[in-house]
Amino acid sequence: MNTGTRGGFTRTVPFWAGLTFGTFGAVMGLALTDAINSVTALILMIVPAGLFFQTMRVANSASDCIGRGEAQRLYIKRVAIFASAYLVVIALQVSLLEGDDVSLAARAALSVMPGLAICGVFWAIGRLIVDEKDEFIRMLIVRQTLIATGLALGFATIWGFLETGGVVPHIPAYWFAVAFFFGQFVGAASNRITHGSWGAL
Amino acid sequence: MKNRLKVLRAERNWSQQDLADRLEVSRQSVNAIETGRYDPSLPLAFKIADVFELAIEEIFTRD
Repeated sequence: MNTGTRGGFTRTVPFWAGLTFGTFGAVMGLALTDAINSVTALILMIVPAGLFFQTMRVANSASDCIGRGEAQRLYIKRVAIFASAYLVVIALQVSLLEGDDVSLAARAALSVMPGLAICGVFWAIGRLIVDEKDEFIRMLIVRQTLIATGLALGFATIWGFLETGGVVPHIPAYWFAVAFFFGQFVGAASNRITHGSWGAL
Repeated sequence: MKNRLKVLRAERNWSQQDLADRLEVSRQSVNAIETGRYDPSLPLAFKIADVFELAIEEIFTRD
């Protein structure tokens, strides 16, 4: 169902999403290991950004196939916008924060932007819950998000105490957002097992 | 809660998608209700009753 066909080869949403994150990771890896300079990294970021739009295009056509409503189409668009903004600002951050001559204000502005882009995705999830008219799908989204929130908070709490005890190293707090998104996958799997549907996120 | 959705749908020769379109919900919702994985809200139960032109208690029964 969730497929896009071109040239006789059927490509799924996970295929394009994997390609997007793979190229993004490759560019980031090259930039962080100084294999390419920051300008090249910024230019190469166009590749994952373009692939991301393709992912969203395929996801949109897939959602048409399975009769997803207006709320879910809006959600996909909002996530596409904030994820693209995230790719751009993270590239800016990598390329512009390298030198020591960056002022504190510029450093703060560049550092807060990726977080705000991710907050945009959180907002999009909230809007989806408000906008979704199908009560069963809405229940699945709420259930999935509660599982993700619980998992992220649990991870943050347990890691924090382990860190205080000197058992584990310190990690940047944005990893808890990563735990939240991982939790969304866990929530979707839980929905599939208990309610027979992956949900909408 | 038990329901007769599958039987009533079969009597009318409707697919799950046909019923979903009439109820303005997703096919997944119809499937979840039919298989007893989800109990609909009272407004949706009334809508289902209206679509089948039956009373709610003729469609839904206690376990």
